[in-house]
Amino acid sequence: MSVEMNKTILRMKINGKAVEVTVKPTWTLLRILREELRLTGTKKGCEQGDCGACTVIMDGKAVNACLVLALQAESKEIETIEGLGTPDDLHPLQGSFIENGAVQCGYCTPGMLMSGAALLDKNPKPNIDEIKRAISGNLCRCTGYVKIIDAIGKASK
Amino acid sequence: MKKRGIGVGSMYYGLGYGFSRPDIGSATIEICEDGSVIVRSGQVDFGQGSDTILCQIVADELDIKYETIQIITADTAMTPDSGPTSASRITYVCGNAMIKAAQALRKKLEHIAEDILGEKDLVFVDGDIHSEAHPDKKMSFANLAKACHLQGIQMVETGWFDNSTPDVDPDTSQGDAYSAYCWASQLAEVEVDTETGKVEVLRVIAVHDVGKAINPSLVEAQIEGGVVMGLGYALTEEIIEEGCIVKNTSFEEYMISTSLDVPRIESHIIEIPSSEGPYGVKGVGEPALIPTAPAILNAICDALDVRITELPANLENLHRLIREKEKSS
Amino acid sequence: MQNFQFHSASSLEDGLDYLAERAGGCKIIAGGTDLIPALRKADLSFSVTRQKSDQNSVSGSGELCKIVAGGGDVIPMMPKNTHPDYVLNILEIEELRGVTETDDTVRIGPTTTFTEMMESEVLNRCLPLLVQAASSVGGPQIRNRGTIGGNIVSNAPCADVLPAVLALEGNLELHSKKSGMRILPVAEALEAPYKTSIAADEILTGILIGKLPPGTRSGFEKLGRRNAMTTARMNMSVVLKLDDDGTISDLRIVPGAVMPVTRRMTDAEEILLGKKPEASLIEESATLMAESIFKITGIRWSTEYKKPVVQNIFKRILKQLLQDN
Repeated sequence: MSVEMNKTILRMKINGKAVEVTVKPTWTLLRILREELRLTGTKKGCEQGDCGACTVIMDGKAVNACLVLALQAESKEIETIEGLGTPDDLHPLQGSFIENGAVQCGYCTPGMLMSGAALLDKNPKPNIDEIKRAISGNLCRCTGYVKIIDAIGKASK
Repeated sequence: MKKRGIGVGSMYYGLGYGFSRPDIGSATIEICEDGSVIVRSGQVDFGQGSDTILCQIVADELDIKYETIQIITADTAMTPDSGPTSASRITYVCGNAMIKAAQALRKKLEHIAEDILGEKDLVFVDGDIHSEAHPDKKMSFANLAKACHLQGIQMVETGWFDNSTPDVDPDTSQGDAYSAYCWASQLAEVEVDTETGKVEVLRVIAVHDVGKAINPSLVEAQIEGGVVMGLGYALTEEIIEEGCIVKNTSFEEYMISTSLDVPRIESHIIEIPSSEGPYGVKGVGEPALIPTAPAILNAICDALDVRITELPANLENLHRLIREKEKSS
Repeated sequence: MQNFQFHSASSLEDGLDYLAERAGGCKIIAGGTDLIPALRKADLSFSVTRQKSDQNSVSGSGELCKIVAGGGDVIPMMPKNTHPDYVLNILEIEELRGVTETDDTVRIGPTTTFTEMMESEVLNRCLPLLVQAASSVGGPQIRNRGTIGGNIVSNAPCADVLPAVLALEGNLELHSKKSGMRILPVAEALEAPYKTSIAADEILTGILIGKLPPGTRSGFEKLGRRNAMTTARMNMSVVLKLDDDGTISDLRIVPGAVMPVTRRMTDAEEILLGKKPEASLIEESATLMAESIFKITGIRWSTEYKKPVVQNIFKRILKQLLQDN
């Protein structure tokens, strides 16, 4: 049963900038970010919401971009890792991750930073349990989470 | 009911490939005419920090600023072969290669600097060179490098280190299989919910003899990552295969630990130098993982007086042992 | 994913119109945390694998659940033929979101996310069981998108919030263009694993739960292999009310992830209803609950674990509730 897929224009805000992109209905926000907009900082880990590597902030909430159909992001405000900071103007979390050795292979790092940023936006001084919970949807195999939790805590001071 | 227990696991681990298998590291170091340094070497930094550590070694050997060094790795067109990045061997094997190349360059540089400054007994520190006796006689490393180039002196050296060992006796299996051994003990404290078989690991204390911690933060990072891998290995990770095909290949089905599963981890570094590693270095990449599951299983045994002989010690396996124990007592 | 056409409903009426014209070939999407993985997996065929030691390996595409990890977790999976021609997004319909209350009822919009449930002052005050259940789902990203409506209509055997809704005797408000509005007790909506009696042209528009009399206590526990991002190995919702003289005047027991279709264990409840909670009666109730469960599921390789553990969890929740003041 083949159904003709109409391409639609999707309009949203990414890192503060208005963006327009033509999408197919089956595409996810993750695909749009990486392959249409070339914002490859958001990583593709599992494409089914189990690893958090694709975490972005949508309308203020941390979400898995792989579980958002692109067209569901119509008119939404999305923040990706590219918008968090730049090498010349690091977000405090990014600086803290570097200072505290919280990056190894780096694959989970963008997702971790976005989950951390979403946490600090709502809760500027979280305790350790709140930090652990905030990143509990982000898997990491390299670090054992210890320095990541430490870095988020130090960035919040 | 919640029952607590404490257990210890200890390990030793031969780094490198041993058993007369090829085990070499190479590094080419070039000093550019502006005094910056380019290092080329075949190993891979996939996050463990080998780039950082090897550049620290070069910076130390040449007494220059770490920031002036650039490293190029794992490129068959550009880098000399250093074998696989595995077997917890890179700092040891490639570190030694770095030292050899750097020391050869250092000798050349000292010689030329002595000529230029007209002094012997020069002190190299932080990218500057001065005479010990007459400190006003000095020059920067950058100017020294430029001078070398202007004189047409090639400032490239390759270091090569062979870590291979003779094989053990084929009949008795006795002999020095590996060139160096790493040692570690870990202690785990667990709390077992006897009603469900769920194990919480409350605390792991990890003590690792790494010979020399060139970068203690990176060593800790390896220990922490290894402990959490060991946690999953002990309690939740299991490969399900059917006819040689792995069935549980997703993150949903193959369960690694999340941030809410990790215990408090304290890592302690001990430095008992190896005889041939750079500055006495041993290794930590794989050792970090090895004692954790044994420590956890011993802790469970301490808590429940049950011996686990099959991994993972998951809910069903552990609860079965608990029920059998209750029945028999 | 196989092709489909997508429409974002701007209003309930718009959504109902869209559905009415495409009933049968249209899937509704809210948070997408169940549907999108299902759409990805829909083209794959699975075999079901059991614990290494088990001789009877079950395979075949007729199974609705994928059993993995030796312990036999039931991984949420939509029916194999999740190939809709149309997908209707209901997240933009304002009236489907949010928690409101009247004097005697709490109304929860179906697109209320698990995070919103956890942050709802009304739910925390009136129906804390739902807050506990919602906070046990997945991780933060999943909770920011997954919805109570989705958890109910997916009717996965391992659902976490659905059992709590059952324990609270929730009613589903459904709308269709053809038939208008109807109210369906949630228990009556659950037909088979992953299947409800909600019609193809219906949209769930509200979950209505009567407020509990003052002094009612509730407890929830989810057992998973790890402490986040985990399917329930089992979960348990209990609602308890004691009279002034200590007699149990209300008791509702809903174990989750132990049966193909989640239900209240009324036989076990009746052992204790109208009685004082003596140890022997609690024991009897727990035993009967386990027997009732396994009468429905039959003896499976996971029974040797689940049978004692489901009783242990029930007893300890009850014990905790009896101690609470």
